[in-house]
Amino acid sequence: MHINCPPSNPPLLKVQELSLSFPNQEHAVDRVSFELAAGKTLGLVGASGAGKSSIARTILRLAEPYAGKILFNGKSIFSMNREQLKEARQRIQIVFQEPSASLSPRRTVAQTLLEPLRHFAIGDANYRQDKIRQTLQTVGLNHDALQRYPNQFSSGQQQRIAIARALVTNPELLIADEAVSALDVSVQAQILQLIQSLQKDHGIAFLFISHDLAVIRQIADEVAVMYRGQLLEHSPADMFFSRPAHPYSKALLAFARFESSARLRTDQLPASQGPGEHSSACIYAGLCVDRMPVCERLEPEYHKIQHTEEPHCVKCHLYDEVHADDKLADDN
Amino acid sequence: MSAVALNVKDLSVWFETQSGRLQIVDNISFSIKAGEATGLVGESGCGKTMTAFAILGLSPASGGTVESAGIEIGGTDISTLSAVQRRRILGRDIAMVFQQPGTALDPVFTIGQQISAVHRRHAGGGRNNTRQAMLDALEQVGFGQPGKIAAAYPHELSGGMRQLAMIAMATVCKPAVLIADEPSTALDSGTQALVLQQIKRLQADHGTAILLISHDLSVIRQSCENVMVMYCGRLLEKADCQGLFSLARHPYSAGLISCIPQISALKPSGINAIPGQVPTPSALPPGCHFAPRCDRAVTRCAQSVPGFGAGSDRGSDRDVACFRPL
Repeated sequence: MHINCPPSNPPLLKVQELSLSFPNQEHAVDRVSFELAAGKTLGLVGASGAGKSSIARTILRLAEPYAGKILFNGKSIFSMNREQLKEARQRIQIVFQEPSASLSPRRTVAQTLLEPLRHFAIGDANYRQDKIRQTLQTVGLNHDALQRYPNQFSSGQQQRIAIARALVTNPELLIADEAVSALDVSVQAQILQLIQSLQKDHGIAFLFISHDLAVIRQIADEVAVMYRGQLLEHSPADMFFSRPAHPYSKALLAFARFESSARLRTDQLPASQGPGEHSSACIYAGLCVDRMPVCERLEPEYHKIQHTEEPHCVKCHLYDEVHADDKLADDN
Repeated sequence: MSAVALNVKDLSVWFETQSGRLQIVDNISFSIKAGEATGLVGESGCGKTMTAFAILGLSPASGGTVESAGIEIGGTDISTLSAVQRRRILGRDIAMVFQQPGTALDPVFTIGQQISAVHRRHAGGGRNNTRQAMLDALEQVGFGQPGKIAAAYPHELSGGMRQLAMIAMATVCKPAVLIADEPSTALDSGTQALVLQQIKRLQADHGTAILLISHDLSVIRQSCENVMVMYCGRLLEKADCQGLFSLARHPYSAGLISCIPQISALKPSGINAIPGQVPTPSALPPGCHFAPRCDRAVTRCAQSVPGFGAGSDRGSDRDVACFRPL
């Protein structure tokens, strides 16, 4: 019943039917599947509480799902032994939103950057010294930063240090979890420039998590939209920003473009909803402007839309031919 | 022509430290008319919030000196008031909405109790009168069931709802001036649009003068008539919003605008950024503080401070503090 899309050959990361729950949230992540090819950027968007960060944490195996698989370079990270997992984690790194909270205030930049190299036993002392200097240069900081502490840097510089720490292990996949959201636009632009050049020069794949669609537009090749734990649409970025398919994607884009909309009401903020109960309805049916009778009865499947060569999938009854005819009948 | 609601004259804020004086706000002047919204934009640490605190007379926790030639609300100077006198106008004539609604609301009182307390203090009147004003204020900011929200404690509301409740509290006495400091920054885009929409409504319905502080130019563009660009404690450009976005005359304003990510149909080929970093208050460059990062800077820029009107005057639709404006 499930279409995995879009296929990429060979996928660096493959997430299959991933489901995750927390004690007070039954479906924090609900049967999510996507693939990410080497050297590409997937933008993961959605309101707060949609499950974006939970997916990031699960990829690093900081959280255990109750169902589904994550394959990194074809190997399931949940069947890896200790050693294999350590090896995989060297290849997958993460940068968080708040640079000041993710750097230890008691360590100099040199200590912070050496830590991953020591942990993964990479190279000898000389190699490590060269590597941290070279990485610091990559992120646009000077050597004299090495002996300083995080509080001696601005937040933009701190985020560069956090990125440098993620880069020293030569990762293939970098997860950026709202990595530029806390920064001023001018600093944000500098960090986005850096990410773009890292991708060009080192071929690193990015899972770029953000609630800010304008930022996603700058760097993503593909966009995946999440709502209350479910993935509702996954499409090439150009397609998403010119012709979004899912009613929720359309609403998100309208909000982001500040199109004031009559249907926006305080009691109906998309953000104020938590992950949903498992029911037979479409998870977005309650707020959907294109709701049809079938949406309340039946959970939609993923439909493939073929405007072009590139795959595009959407979880909505509107794209199901039988039910779309229903909609027309209703309108008449 | 409507009356001037807020008039700030020659406002400065500085801290004395062991390593010398740190100038946080450097001699700024501006005014806002009733029913107008003016945006104050600048990067973190440029002095936006200190400007707001200085206007309200809230002295920073770590000392600091505030000096001005007058801060007038509706023609009355409030900069010389005593603490007791000041408390009478805060909330009634001028109110503020903060960035973090979670920390600005008291967790042990319901939303209704907190809003009522403000109204009781300033407007007096009976219990029913106060309750009605409180419910009206909640309804004004878009709550369909104000009674339900009034009975809720802050932790029972989402971030966006808390911020709307804060706006209701700030406006229950219909102040002449509302200062909103990054009111939508901590919220996601849908909620952000809603909060800004409600602030606009207050401006239209009550003729409130609004000072909207934000680091996000796109927020200011969508909600303000006028905009002031601040850098290292100084105002560099004052213009109407339309004018600034169609042609920014200060190189820093132009740089800031080019940094804003756009949702375009085609993926942008490159990302624009201003090179270099914002200097710290302890190491401000002489002359124009932006000169070291400016591609139009000449020797003169590093030697003397450009005031408004320093550059060639191409139409006087705005104030630009630059020797070589665009």
